[in-house]
Amino acid sequence: MSASQAVFSGWMEIPNSAMSDQARQCAAEEELAALVGQYAGTLYRVAFSVLRNPSDAEDAVQEAFLRVLRHRDSLGEVRDQRVWLIRIVWNIVLDRKRRSKTRPETDDVTELARVLPAQGLSAEQIASAAQHHAHVLACVDRLPAKERQVLMLSAFEELSSVEIASVLGITESSVRSRLFRARNLMAGLLNHARSLR
Amino acid sequence: MKYQGQDDLSNDSQLGSAEATLRLIASLPAPAGLEERVQAGLRAAPRSGRVLAWPAALSLDSNWMRAAAAAAIVFVVAGGGWGVYAHVQPGQSARGVAVPPHVAAPAGGFSNSGAMRTPNTLNGPLAPHPATARPPAKASVKGTARTTQTPLRPGKSGVANKAVPPPVAPAAK
Repeated sequence: MSASQAVFSGWMEIPNSAMSDQARQCAAEEELAALVGQYAGTLYRVAFSVLRNPSDAEDAVQEAFLRVLRHRDSLGEVRDQRVWLIRIVWNIVLDRKRRSKTRPETDDVTELARVLPAQGLSAEQIASAAQHHAHVLACVDRLPAKERQVLMLSAFEELSSVEIASVLGITESSVRSRLFRARNLMAGLLNHARSLR
Repeated sequence: MKYQGQDDLSNDSQLGSAEATLRLIASLPAPAGLEERVQAGLRAAPRSGRVLAWPAALSLDSNWMRAAAAAAIVFVVAGGGWGVYAHVQPGQSARGVAVPPHVAAPAGGFSNSGAMRTPNTLNGPLAPHPATARPPAKASVKGTARTTQTPLRPGKSGVANKAVPPPVAPAAK
């Protein structure tokens, strides 16, 4: 190879990135499909606990995975993908909840009666249970935002306090103190509601 | 009668039932076919960008093709530079003062016919010279009493300088 040839080949050297890009893209898509299979249910439950509407929750899950698709190149940098995904869907549902109008409590009762498991229960029992759950959820809605969020996330058994802290972007001790305050406030609200009846 | 412990127990049971509600909602199963729908949505989503592949017929495997491409790039860059140099001559400056073109009067309007307007402040009001002021009028009839007319003084109004009528002469015997 002459000197000029060497110079030209140095200038016009095209890295073998086209193939590697394609391969990386395929790998990222496969990884994304695996994430959907693994965590779609968890994300749906997180979304439903805030939005309380099946179709809205499903939309939120879809939007979360679309965001992941947009940032699929950085999937390898994520340490805990489960917490990362929950954080994404949590931000989405909070944003949607903020934008949407407050749903009336009657909607919650109807929706819960439709969604809750009702094996071996009469129609009357189902309606009564749905009413009770809707009442509890109305009390939860009256809590301050910080305490409410911690209380709702603490209901997920698969989330530890460290993971809740990671989702909310606060320290673990803040999670504990907020949870303590939330329980106290919740007890007060439930007592107040009972005394009014 | 209610005791403190009773209240605590009641609070705990209520709180427990509330947390059970939250746990129940948190453990609701996802609807059937959720994953397939999400996968389908991801497949239908528009992709952000694609890298265009170089045509296989124009692959840069051969050295002569690389040399030709490099020569073409050099030619284009040099030609562009020469084109810029040929069109822009250094030291070109304006040779005269730009005069705004004469704007004709609009149709139906009046023109100034080339007359130059002079400001009024150049020919201001002139004060009368004291030498050219009119002398006081003499008595027309001899022997009559002098009028008490006073000369005009500048700055006085005409009302102040009004002439006093002469006294009536005695009748001749």
